[in-house]
Amino acid sequence: MSGPGALRAAWIVAAKDLRLEWRTFDALSAMLLFSLIVLVVFNFAFDLTTVREVGAAHLVPGVIWTTFAFAGIIGFARSFQIEKLRDSLTALVLAPVDRGALFAGKAFANLVMLVALQAVLLPLSAVFFDYDLVAVLLPLALVVLLHTVGIAELGTLFAAVAVRVGRGEALLATLLFPVSSPLLISAVKCTTAVLDGKGLGTVRHWMLVSAGFDVLYFLLAVLTFEFVLED
Amino acid sequence: MRRLKDPMLLVLFASVAVLMPAANYMVFLYAPDEKVMGAAQRIFYFHVPCAVVAFLSTFVMLAGSIGYLWTRRRVFDNLSRSGTELALLFCSLVLVTGPIWAKPAWGVWWTWEARLTTTLLLGLLLAGCLMVRRYAESPEQGARLAAVLGIVAALDVPIIYKAVDWWRGQHPVVFGPGKKDPLAPEMRQTFLFSLLVFALLYGLLLALRMRVADHEDRVRDLGESMAGRGGAAA
Repeated sequence: MSGPGALRAAWIVAAKDLRLEWRTFDALSAMLLFSLIVLVVFNFAFDLTTVREVGAAHLVPGVIWTTFAFAGIIGFARSFQIEKLRDSLTALVLAPVDRGALFAGKAFANLVMLVALQAVLLPLSAVFFDYDLVAVLLPLALVVLLHTVGIAELGTLFAAVAVRVGRGEALLATLLFPVSSPLLISAVKCTTAVLDGKGLGTVRHWMLVSAGFDVLYFLLAVLTFEFVLED
Repeated sequence: MRRLKDPMLLVLFASVAVLMPAANYMVFLYAPDEKVMGAAQRIFYFHVPCAVVAFLSTFVMLAGSIGYLWTRRRVFDNLSRSGTELALLFCSLVLVTGPIWAKPAWGVWWTWEARLTTTLLLGLLLAGCLMVRRYAESPEQGARLAAVLGIVAALDVPIIYKAVDWWRGQHPVVFGPGKKDPLAPEMRQTFLFSLLVFALLYGLLLALRMRVADHEDRVRDLGESMAGRGGAAA
């Protein structure tokens, strides 16, 4: 018996994860609540006077991406913990499909959840830090999507490693943040440029590097995922 | 069975034992004082070779990791593990010697410059690889996961470097295109000699660590075969 093609298999895995999330809202609700709390804490740290002095463009990108990176950890960890609960990871591994397709499916489901999180987080940050979100919506959306793809890929790969050795968020954070640092630096740089009202042309090299990063880590994860899943 | 008298080890050990004091002599007595930085500049002869060796060792880790995933032979895993540990060791030396020099030269212990940041993040990544090995349920699982992480980490290093380089830049560039050679002949000789000695030291440590790893493997195999025999008898 041969399984479905790689694309179809990836879609099945992603749809399963997203359906599960849609019915429970387990990960998203935790991530949202956590982001909200972090944003509020940042708001205490930098009150509106400070924000106006420094300029939202120089403060908000760091706040957004820090909040986002930490909240992402919760989602990534959960995406494999649910597989571990009833050992459904074994069932997943037994499926007659390419391991790379399993990775692609998991990563895509994580990406969708992260984008959903961003869709709430960005308006909230605009409310808290008082900047004009509507004016920069399109370029900002592009920047966010480009950098979220890479983070979702790395987060998915490392979450699989962390769940394999039975450690959760702590190990995941230790692995994810150093590796994704170029992506986070680039994300902050691009977001700053967008909020400053400069065009995306001024940060073209950053965008290109991030796109390259997204592709490189997708290929790398697809190639190495089978070694992570192996038992 | 291999004895302690491994000829390669002996040669490496003897050359390091003889050349390391010679390198120290050159660093402290032979090389002249630098005009601006004075004696503090002499740490350069330790700092730069350590950095070179740390990055070299990262490539050893990468090669070992790829080799292990490809062939599943233990010797590659041992290479990867030894490379990771030694890279972390030399990385730490770089991170210690760097600030000692930076304080008198730059006036600060630390700055978020490309090479500093890359070295620090490399150190964190290497520590992550070793953590995964420690947490793993079996040595095979640890070897596999650490190999995956090792590949990801090693490929990440140039990207981190480039990213932070665009972000900031302050590190002194002594050797580089378009720069005329700034070192006095004595300084150049001392530096190259120091580099050679550190490379030899690295070779020696790697060979020793590989031996230890090999012995660990054999002890484990022996333990397993004893347990197997005990089970059969009972």
